Amino acid sequence: MSNSAVMASPAGAKVDADQASVAAAPGGYYTDQAVRLFALAAILWGVVGMLVGVIIASQLTWPELNFGIPWLSYGRLRPLHTNAVIFAFGGCALMATSFHVVQRTCQTRLFAPGLAMFVFWGWQLVIVAAAISLPLGMTQGKEYAELEWPIDLLIAVVWVSYAIVFFGTVGIRKVRHIYVANWFFGAFILAVALLHIVNSAAIPVSLTKSYSAYAGVQDAMIQWWYGHNAVGFFLTAGFLGMMYYYIPKQAERPVYSYRLSIVHFWALIFTYMWAGPHHLHYTALPDWAQSVGMVFSLVLLAPSWGGMINGIMTLSGAWHKLRDDPILKFLIVSLSFYGMSTFEGPMMSIKTVNALSHYTDWTVGHVHSGALGWVGLISMGSLYYLIPRMFGRTTMFSVRAIELHFWIATIGIVLYIAAMWIAGVMQGLMWRAVNPDGTLVYTFVESVKATFPYYAVRLLGGVLYLSGMLIMAWNVVMTVKSGKAVDSPIPMPAPAHA
Amino acid sequence: MMPPAQPLAQPSPTAEGVAVLDDPLEQGRFTRWVAGPGGERWAESSLQLAGLHCAACSGIIEQALGRVAGVHMARVSAAAERATVCWDPDLTRPSALIAAVRRAGYDAVPDAAAPARALRLQLQRQALWRLFVAGFCAMQVMMFATPSYVAAAGELSDEMRRLLNWGAWMLTLPVMAFSATPYFAGAWRALRTRTIGMDVPVALGIAITFIASTGATFEPDGIFGHEVYFDSLTMFVTFLLGARWLELRSRQHAAETLERALARLPETAWRVAADGGVSAVSVQRLHVGDQVRVPLGQAFPADGVLEQGDTQADESLLTGESAPVPKRMGDSVVAGSSNVGAPVLVRVLRVGGDTRLETIVSMMRSALTQRPAAARVADRWAAPFLWAVLLLAAGAAAVWSVIDPSRAVWVAVSVLIVTCPCALSLAAPATLVAAARGLARRGVLLQRLDAIEVLATAQHIFLDKTGTLTEDRLQCSAVLLTPGAVAQGYTEASVQALAASLASWSTHPASRAVADLLPGQTDSGDWQHVHEVPGQGLGAQDAEGRAWRLGQAHWAGAQAPLPDDAQAPLRADAQAPLRAGAQAPLPADAQAPLPADARLVLSCDGRLLAGFVLEEVLRPGAEQAVQALQRDGVTLRLVTGDTAERARQLADRVGIVNVLAAATPEAKLAALIELQRQGHKVVMVGDGVNDAPVLARADASLAMGQGALVSRCHADAVITSSRLLDLVSARRTAQRALAIVRQNFIWAGTYNAVCIPLALVGWLPPWAAGLGMALSSLLVVANALRAGR
Amino acid sequence: MESLYVLIPLSALLVLAILGVFGWAVHKGQFEDIEAEGQRILTDEAPAVDADQDP
Repeated sequence: MSNSAVMASPAGAKVDADQASVAAAPGGYYTDQAVRLFALAAILWGVVGMLVGVIIASQLTWPELNFGIPWLSYGRLRPLHTNAVIFAFGGCALMATSFHVVQRTCQTRLFAPGLAMFVFWGWQLVIVAAAISLPLGMTQGKEYAELEWPIDLLIAVVWVSYAIVFFGTVGIRKVRHIYVANWFFGAFILAVALLHIVNSAAIPVSLTKSYSAYAGVQDAMIQWWYGHNAVGFFLTAGFLGMMYYYIPKQAERPVYSYRLSIVHFWALIFTYMWAGPHHLHYTALPDWAQSVGMVFSLVLLAPSWGGMINGIMTLSGAWHKLRDDPILKFLIVSLSFYGMSTFEGPMMSIKTVNALSHYTDWTVGHVHSGALGWVGLISMGSLYYLIPRMFGRTTMFSVRAIELHFWIATIGIVLYIAAMWIAGVMQGLMWRAVNPDGTLVYTFVESVKATFPYYAVRLLGGVLYLSGMLIMAWNVVMTVKSGKAVDSPIPMPAPAHA
Repeated sequence: MMPPAQPLAQPSPTAEGVAVLDDPLEQGRFTRWVAGPGGERWAESSLQLAGLHCAACSGIIEQALGRVAGVHMARVSAAAERATVCWDPDLTRPSALIAAVRRAGYDAVPDAAAPARALRLQLQRQALWRLFVAGFCAMQVMMFATPSYVAAAGELSDEMRRLLNWGAWMLTLPVMAFSATPYFAGAWRALRTRTIGMDVPVALGIAITFIASTGATFEPDGIFGHEVYFDSLTMFVTFLLGARWLELRSRQHAAETLERALARLPETAWRVAADGGVSAVSVQRLHVGDQVRVPLGQAFPADGVLEQGDTQADESLLTGESAPVPKRMGDSVVAGSSNVGAPVLVRVLRVGGDTRLETIVSMMRSALTQRPAAARVADRWAAPFLWAVLLLAAGAAAVWSVIDPSRAVWVAVSVLIVTCPCALSLAAPATLVAAARGLARRGVLLQRLDAIEVLATAQHIFLDKTGTLTEDRLQCSAVLLTPGAVAQGYTEASVQALAASLASWSTHPASRAVADLLPGQTDSGDWQHVHEVPGQGLGAQDAEGRAWRLGQAHWAGAQAPLPDDAQAPLRADAQAPLRAGAQAPLPADAQAPLPADARLVLSCDGRLLAGFVLEEVLRPGAEQAVQALQRDGVTLRLVTGDTAERARQLADRVGIVNVLAAATPEAKLAALIELQRQGHKVVMVGDGVNDAPVLARADASLAMGQGALVSRCHADAVITSSRLLDLVSARRTAQRALAIVRQNFIWAGTYNAVCIPLALVGWLPPWAAGLGMALSSLLVVANALRAGR
Repeated sequence: MESLYVLIPLSALLVLAILGVFGWAVHKGQFEDIEAEGQRILTDEAPAVDADQDP
């Protein structure tokens, strides 16, 4: 998006590039190039990641679709899907929004904008490397941490640079108070750095192969310490940072209780660290460790819901805005799914419940209600706010398309999770059904057959969700074409604060 | 000509008043010097703002200040309505800052309370950090402790257990080294002064628990056994700090409310130079021998002597004298009293610390240091409790050393741990804080929590008169018409209307009382040539050219010859019919100050038409309050600097028997000390500067919300609503609070009494001890909350 | 459960680091005048440059 391009919009109105820059900006300009690029990359990788998701969902429904081709096989495409949606889509969305929010709330341009561009290109390189290596079968075999060691090293370098840019910007802020969203972003960045470094410790044997530094159930414990904290800090804390900025901005109201948001932050930090063992119920992990995980997963319910209520109640007194504003719909409904998932999660971490749900598709349903419902919708809502403003507009090219996207996506989510709940509970019940003489009632294959229709419904849900994403991609392209990449001026700063 | 709308209000900030701010002497009150980034000398000033009504206001003010050349930084706190400005003394000055704020549509005055507030802020932050460290660590320690609780026997290997204990130990270190230090410091201080306060058993409990658990962590087979109590310890400290933090916040809230009153423009005096020119200077720059002009409505800036003009001075805040004191040339005036008569010139005799005002204030300060130490309720229990626990532990050790020596130390330690006085140490503070909050909601702002106890139990209360029992004004209780007036066809109503409209031209307290006869009347009448003679009254001409006078009898009737019958009813032995029931006679000496039921008279062309009986206005609810207190068995005493006669009259009106009148501050203090020497606890309720020494020395003191600043600042509580019935309800709340404290102590004592035998026998596992401690603390706190209702 | 030999010391260090951060925040006045800060993000953005508005 070069600054010199002047495009005509379909409606015929011409955009005057010079008008914008003529506006005197004694305070300087925000550096939004990285924000722009990350936002567009998020859309691209969202489509890619969801497409791969649709492919593997089809393969689960119709295994023939593996075609016998190794690099199209389910086993290799699944991690491509998870990495693409979490790190490519989610990661780019987080980087875009964190760079945007930190500048606006600190009223300063980015610290080391050049390094920010390095973070962008480095991250794209990581994604491309993943897209190549995973289908080729290069994997460390650890959930959400499959990428081999050279890519892990690159991730570490890029992440450290990300941290430098973000914290550097906070350091040169012109506003004394650090807005709560930045605390969430900061915690997310530091936690992910720590988790990545500890969990990815490996002994390389060749350029494309390494072995984990840990073994057996120890490795499992560390893996799920990483895995759950990745969910907690990457997928929750980071996106809560998004939520605490874009909901007030879109609703034009301050957070319901700012004090609560701060308490929410610290309470979340308290408790997340020890919930990990709930992924390992009834495994070789000692019973007491499992119990600890269960107890603290339940404790986690409180701060999570505190944050949800805080976000939703921001609309208190202005609920009517929901009727007409589809972006607010995305943002607020995402919080409902957040609430649902953070209730479902602790429930599932109770041992007796887990005895039914572990290894079934209920877990998949839970993951996707959080991923599609919370992470997906909040990112979409935030990007719908952000992208037009990165291109000199206040609204997207087509607001009706946003509305359409919302409904298609929501229906898709509901189909998805309903299908997976039913399938999961059914599987759990079938697997544990025993005859009076102690033999199993059902063979495993029978449960697979019984699941088939639900896989089909799930696929439909996923296709709808992908379609919504495609609508968004179209809308974004049209917005960019009819907009103009201009940097916003930093408001005249009040005299420097201590 | 319109009558003045607001008599004797706060002097509005004039341009000269603002300019005095630039005087370095004044600046020191609200400005400090900081080093700029390049090492230059910058000033940092604190301003109190007014007029903030919206969310964007603070931003607007920040920008307005930022635009002033020479301002480096401006920060506005919306919640506190305060601005902190960093500026270059070479480029700008405080008056420019205030002007900028005013131009933006707001107002600002210097914030002299800044240093005190900075200190409080520091304390607040430190307390919050301590609490957070304790709470955060407690949470993590609890996580490390949970495996031991949930693991089945033998499931947790020894190494794993040791690892978990080590982790818990690591995270208890910050709590011991940082969060709990106030308790260790308090215990050390108490021991050094040979007293045993509640901090001592608390500190002992914490220390023993930590040492024993450390021993168990690193040497599980040693004398301390293998049970660790880090989770109970950290949770205990968290609860204590939580209660302390709430107490701190409630105290600081009270202090902040008072400090708002400290924000006012510096006192300006108008010094007359040798050549006759008048300049505005800070009061602090006056010297003995200066001549100053004191405008109507301002306070006299120093002790001095009247050199030109006659006036009256309102000395009520200083002496309790409820009626304005006339001052003629050559009379002395007192710093701090208000000039209510006319503008005058005064020669300064004493300044600063030598004035009567300052003398009273320093008397108050010394009384503060001699105040009887209020032993906190909890502290009284601390010593017996401690001895009992130590005895039990020693006894247990002795017994076990015979039965099984290897367990002796451990049992003794577990007794000490189990009896750690969590509930006991929370019992009183939690209740008192809740009670303080309840009181604050009802209009009584507590500055010192210990006052609650005294308020509940004291049997003697000293009540000041002027400004405490009475409001700061006079009221007209009766209008008497002369027979001559009746004959001329005047009615009470018409006389009131005439008098009120004339009286509205004056700001004198007596005139205001007459003007209030017809409140809200806007018709100021058709008066011309209105003139006021200080000490005598008001005169004017009506539309028909008649000369009317409203004022002292001898002056109002002086102009024209008086027919005998017009004078007669106003003599003490009058037989002529009177309207309403005026009681006391007009004193023969008409030069004396007006007595309590003083009469103003209204005359027309020298003929007396009516007399007005004036008396002090009792505060609403005063009589009921006095009756309620006396019914409770409290002995009330009216102490006042006003004359014996007026004091007696008011005491009769309100129902108080004991009166101490014409009392100087020294005399009031002496009366208080005498009662205290007899072993009684005395509560003082007052408002004036002359009450300050007594307020300082009394066992508990309450100041009226509209009283003198120095009294309000140093009283234990401020009755912000200025309603005396709130004093009664405050007392009831205090009594209820004490009852709840007693309940809490009984509960805590019972809990301990039950647990100790169990610990002695070895039947109390650590998790039960921890759980019990947590639950009993919560129970105490929940009970305490009732005190606020 | 040898992995705990890594995880527990790690989390202890982490807790100390977090306490340090909180202490820094408290003493820098991050927790004062809270509600106004929630309002601040709504008032200080320069108006966005508005090119085309096609609903």
